[in-house]
Amino acid sequence: MDKSTIVCRCEEINIDEIENALKNGAQTFDDIKRLTRTGMGSCQSKVCLHPVREIIADYHNKDLQDVGISRMRIPLKPIRMGTLATESKDSNVASVFGESVEEGDENR
Amino acid sequence: MKTDLLIIGAGPAGINAALTADAAGAEVILVDESLQPGGQLRQQTQLFSNLPKNKKKTRGTSLNNHLVESLNASNVKVLSNHAMVGSYLNGNIGVTDGFKTFEIHAKKYILATGAQEEGKIFPGWTLPGVMTAGAAQILINRELVLPGKNAVIVGSNDFAFEVIKQLRICGVSIKAVVEDKDQLQSEKQDLLSDLGNITFLTNSTIELASGSGEVEHVSIRTPSGIKELEADFICISNGFTPILEPFEVMNCKFTYKEILGGWLPAYNMNFQTTNSNCYLAGSAAGITTLGPILLTGEIAAWSVLEELEFISPREAHNQKKECWEELMTLENNNVFQKRTEIIADSLLQDNWNPKSYFTELQGGQIHG
Amino acid sequence: MQIKKHPILGEKFTEEITFYFNEKPLKAMKGQTVAAALMRNGIRKFGVSRKLFKARGLYCANGRCTSCYVTINGLDHVLSCSTLVEDGMNVHSNESDPDVGGIYN
Ligand SMILES: Cc1cc2nc3c(=O)[nH]c(=O)nc-3n(C[C@H](O)[C@H](O)[C@H](O)COP(=O)(O)OP(=O)(O)OC[C@H]3O[C@@H](n4cnc5c(N)ncnc54)[C@H](O)[C@@H]3O)c2cc1C
Ligand code: FES
Ligand code: FES
Repeated sequence: MDKSTIVCRCEEINIDEIENALKNGAQTFDDIKRLTRTGMGSCQSKVCLHPVREIIADYHNKDLQDVGISRMRIPLKPIRMGTLATESKDSNVASVFGESVEEGDENR
Repeated sequence: MKTDLLIIGAGPAGINAALTADAAGAEVILVDESLQPGGQLRQQTQLFSNLPKNKKKTRGTSLNNHLVESLNASNVKVLSNHAMVGSYLNGNIGVTDGFKTFEIHAKKYILATGAQEEGKIFPGWTLPGVMTAGAAQILINRELVLPGKNAVIVGSNDFAFEVIKQLRICGVSIKAVVEDKDQLQSEKQDLLSDLGNITFLTNSTIELASGSGEVEHVSIRTPSGIKELEADFICISNGFTPILEPFEVMNCKFTYKEILGGWLPAYNMNFQTTNSNCYLAGSAAGITTLGPILLTGEIAAWSVLEELEFISPREAHNQKKECWEELMTLENNNVFQKRTEIIADSLLQDNWNPKSYFTELQGGQIHG
Repeated sequence: MQIKKHPILGEKFTEEITFYFNEKPLKAMKGQTVAAALMRNGIRKFGVSRKLFKARGLYCANGRCTSCYVTINGLDHVLSCSTLVEDGMNVHSNESDPDVGGIYN
């Protein structure tokens, strides 16, 4: 297939860029994510997870079942920042949600 | 908010679980991010036989209406247009209505969040007019809107053929079915024979979908060269896979079974995940057909009812035994085998003794 | 294109309403999503992608892919497949809409 074919729709990363990450030593979906932004878009890898796993499996000559999945973080859905202001009094709560907001800067 | 049982996902599995638990007296909240309950059953106009409890052959959409009516007549508190967005360190589930997030504390949880469709990449697959087969099905059967006039279908599994049939009766012309393998994937001859004069292109892939701002033209690489077609939409049917992210945030462990849709949460014969407060049902527990989907919802509910002592262990035993026996008869044998493998793994890990009814199911054999 | 009478489901919607897409008045049926309302009027390009400004529209119809983002009554990045159209609603395509060419566009 044409190497310029988009794999991650949200971040618009193509096959070539993913294969480059693999050439540079990426083993897992999360490696590719860190190197290319694949999976960091607004759908949070719900669409590109599987196609990327297939490319990893092909490249490393593995079975699909030996290619794991990426870590998924909260919030599970793209929601607006203000929405996260939870009413809970449990301080743990604020910290879990607070943390994931910093990491998931795409989730407005 | 507090309740006995919180169910995420109001598809057939979640609704059936909710109705079962409600009838036994448990307090149930049912959360779904969609505008209406029913899940993916809402657009399934095809006829289903092989339903549990001798239900007669019915259209998915009629069964859905029936389930939703029963739900409305029950005490289940339904929160539509509410999405589960995460879990809290104390184990509660975070739910948002789009304006604010709040937590729901339940004694037990059932996640019945269903499956999603797998995509398939090809040059031009991001262009408007390229959509999943399920999206086309939703447009014609929920929204009564045609996605276009001339379709190219990518993939040839059962679901592709169901959608082709449904598109055709709405007046869509099917220009070609493109399959990259060397033969069509559906084994259902009755589905095939209904389709008649359709161009099937095996060993073929889409070379390029193009057009100005939307699909107008499709180039297909076939063994006998490039075939050019005028088409205004493309449906991708590449199978289903369980939705995982709600289970991830509930710290459930995963396992892999290709025939059940790839990665999925691990569970035992009570449809309990590795998080003991968290159960699952429906397509989330493996891709299967409607009868088994309804039954898994019921088994999960009976298990929760037993844990919360709404029913006696004896009644739970009898109810679950009956459901499992029906599940075995209704479910595709290969799918059922893989399900029992997942359960056998859980038995090994937890050193549990399988219930006698379970070992009896397959003539005393648990596979795995 | 609206299916007037569905071969299995018959007529489902009764009330016609008016909404606006990029200021242009369009008809839809009450009960339809914004995405369906647009596609009923032959509009399939709902906006452009963030980085390369490529055309985007409905893909999953299930609130998962975010390809169907539009701006509704001034609020941007709303999932058009998961929002009901309303009478008088102002819908705008997602982000700027420059006329960029390219093979996929
Ligand atoms: C688009 C599509 C079309 C399908 N068409 C067919 C078909 O024609 N024939 C067939 O046999 N199978 C089909 N399937 C497979 C489908 O999984 C089953 O038919 C069946 O609907 C599964 O029932 P369920 O109750 O397990 O899940 P579903 O019916 O999928 O219901 C799950 C519900 O959970 C909700 N949900 C998910 N995540 C969250 C969250 N985080 N917060 C709140 N709510 C959430 C969803 O909105 C949904 O309503 C289709 C699947 C999809 C995705
Ligand atoms: S497709 Fe990759 S993040 Fe959405
Ligand atoms: S079409 Fe995928 S989120 Fe709306």
